[in-house]
Amino acid sequence: MAEAASASPATIEARGLAAGKGAALAFKHVSFQIAPGSFTALVGPNGAGKTTLFEAILGLIPPRHGEIQVLGETPRRMRRQVAYVPQALALAHDDALIGREFVSAAFQAHRLGLPLPDARRRARAAVEAALETVGASDLASRRLSTLSGGQRQRLLIAQALVNRPRLVLLDEPLSQLDPAARDWIVAVAADLTQRGIAVIFSTHDINPVLRVCDRVLYLAQGRGRIGSVDEIICDETLSELYVTPVRVIRDGGRRFVFADAPVSDVG
Amino acid sequence: MPEFLQFAFMRNAFVATTLIALMGSLVGYFVVLRRQAFASHALSNIGFAGAAGASLAGVDPMLGLLLFVMGAALVMAWTGRDLGERDVSVGMILMFSLGLGALFVNLYSANANAAIGILFGSVFGIDAGQIRWIAITSAGVLIGLGAIFRPLRFASLNPQAARAQGIPVATLDTLFLLLVGAAAAIAVPVIGSLLSFAIFVGPAAAAQAWCGRVGLGMGLTALLALLESLGGLLLSYYANLPASSCIAALSFGLYAVSRLPIRALRA
Repeated sequence: MAEAASASPATIEARGLAAGKGAALAFKHVSFQIAPGSFTALVGPNGAGKTTLFEAILGLIPPRHGEIQVLGETPRRMRRQVAYVPQALALAHDDALIGREFVSAAFQAHRLGLPLPDARRRARAAVEAALETVGASDLASRRLSTLSGGQRQRLLIAQALVNRPRLVLLDEPLSQLDPAARDWIVAVAADLTQRGIAVIFSTHDINPVLRVCDRVLYLAQGRGRIGSVDEIICDETLSELYVTPVRVIRDGGRRFVFADAPVSDVG
Repeated sequence: MPEFLQFAFMRNAFVATTLIALMGSLVGYFVVLRRQAFASHALSNIGFAGAAGASLAGVDPMLGLLLFVMGAALVMAWTGRDLGERDVSVGMILMFSLGLGALFVNLYSANANAAIGILFGSVFGIDAGQIRWIAITSAGVLIGLGAIFRPLRFASLNPQAARAQGIPVATLDTLFLLLVGAAAAIAVPVIGSLLSFAIFVGPAAAAQAWCGRVGLGMGLTALLALLESLGGLLLSYYANLPASSCIAALSFGLYAVSRLPIRALRA
């Protein structure tokens, strides 16, 4: 299932990757390449290993077998080139913290000591640029506690961008959003690829990202497949992944997956 | 010189309270930001057991207080990695420590007054030697807080993203709890373990309801802490009331004023 190597160096290259926590492996024999500026949808049911794969890409867990390289290096050495956007932000109801301050907290956060005036100037410029990139400049002075889920998600993405990463991992960003906010977040993520940033977008539902994703990386039953939407979201590939007959039905540009036994909530 | 500063005990009380208000409130800003108010309160109370144990052993109560508080900070860091899920382990450690404190007092009631004094503090009994220790500890705690300011701010607001960036979130948590422990150990003999919330939580909670920026919020926190603690001393002097009670009343008043408009607006 390894893809043909592209002309530019891969943002991620995984070969025969196996990873997991504790005794069990979440997946094994997974190979894929992620190209710079590409949009990859990471799809799979709960427990398929999507979060484990993110942790392997971030170098938070070592591969059990195989290898993974990020920007040509080990994941741990490239952590600062990779940004992770969690599913949601938990804050107390009364928090007065404003959007700009939240985004700014990530700027060169690995450095010790108080930020000097020059660092504060650079942080301000980076924060304004990141807010503009995600269309959230109007949220800069708003209290986080007054924002909707979609607005908070945009701030989370802006925060991920302040250190100018080359790869952004979005962990189920649509799970708590209404349809309008979902479209917004997908558009924001797709726009990042136009700036040369590779995006891996974890989701249960492939439909919101069908129009923008270049590749689908599908994890299920401890296995993984990568390819175009048509190559992956089809009867043959999903039946092979789930080891049970699976039928994909297309309806008005959306895809729905059916099986005798419940396999996932794709579509 | 104002009349109340003509007395050495008042001058000592003012210096000690100023130092503790600055140090305790700035550490307290992060205590509130990280939702660790219960841990901070518990650490202050655990000091009582250490002081009582030291009295029983015939050594300086301050030494027992310091050992118990720092030890408890380490155990708290070790037992609860997720900030939101730490309450139960903190409660159990607090319960065990208070039980030990009661046992120590029961075994050696002759010297129990020193330990019981820890519960409510004795701000007007501070001598020059104690002020020196308070100054050294305050400086050390504030330097430590300044050193980890940037990673701690990010890890407090978005721990998952901070961990993904390679920031050692668990180590930071332990370091921060040790700073809280050191601050509590030096503050408790002055303001009392039962009333430490007045410095560690009250000003920061009020400031965070008003102020959307971390830097300004910390400044406002320190200002409110100085107002309530020095105001409490003056009130105590002129109204002939216990100093800790006056400081606690002012702290509660500021907190109530800061929160009431928010509650009213929401209703």
